Amino acid sequence: VSFMDAGANTYLIRPNYKDKFKAGAAKECIREILREQLYGVQYDPEEVPTLSRALADSIKHKLRDVGFDRYKLIVQVVVGEQRGEGVKMAARCFWDADTDSYAQDIFMNDSLFCVAAAFGVYYY
Amino acid sequence: DLNYFHSQTTFVVDEITTVIKEAVESTIGNSSYQHSKINQWMSGIVESSLSQLTKLGKPFKYIVTCIILQKNGAGLHTASSCFWDNSTDGSCTVRWENKTIYCIVSVFGLAI
Repeated sequence: VSFMDAGANTYLIRPNYKDKFKAGAAKECIREILREQLYGVQYDPEEVPTLSRALADSIKHKLRDVGFDRYKLIVQVVVGEQRGEGVKMAARCFWDADTDSYAQDIFMNDSLFCVAAAFGVYYY
Repeated sequence: DLNYFHSQTTFVVDEITTVIKEAVESTIGNSSYQHSKINQWMSGIVESSLSQLTKLGKPFKYIVTCIILQKNGAGLHTASSCFWDNSTDGSCTVRWENKTIYCIVSVFGLAI
């Protein structure tokens, strides 16, 4: 006869399907924040450092509110001046493709552009 | 010993910075900005950084992002906000430039 608690074998080392990092939902969060906070904003070299940090923090808070338990979050925001020059941004990750994912969005107006990427990494 | 244990399970900024600097130097060291080569350079930098990082053999997941910018007088700013375990996870950003190119590489390391 073996004695097992009701709580045995309940620690998940993989997320359930409904708890996975949903790229679509994350992209929506990012899009809303960028639209709200950057609408009509001009590129100002004094303000931009504070602005980009504030954007990264708001996006992170919003993602935490949405849920994604057991996920570590990384949000990177790049804000640049629109001068018609070439910019390219790339990312590559070494992670567990089953559980981890990312979402990104871009916002542009006449004076600035902004790229925001959010990465969700499962914590085993 | 405890120092060795610490260095194997936490994000060591200096080590990672060296790895990234080498990766950038070896890919775009003396080049001038050329629009047609950007894709190749980006893949080169990011891939060689990631493979060097994984060779360190530590129990970490890595995210490497790279921005390449033509020197044109325009301003650029990057910021990041992270929700992680402060005692083991970390990030580092390497800014590299030559006469015509700016290159910014960020590495985020998350302990398993």
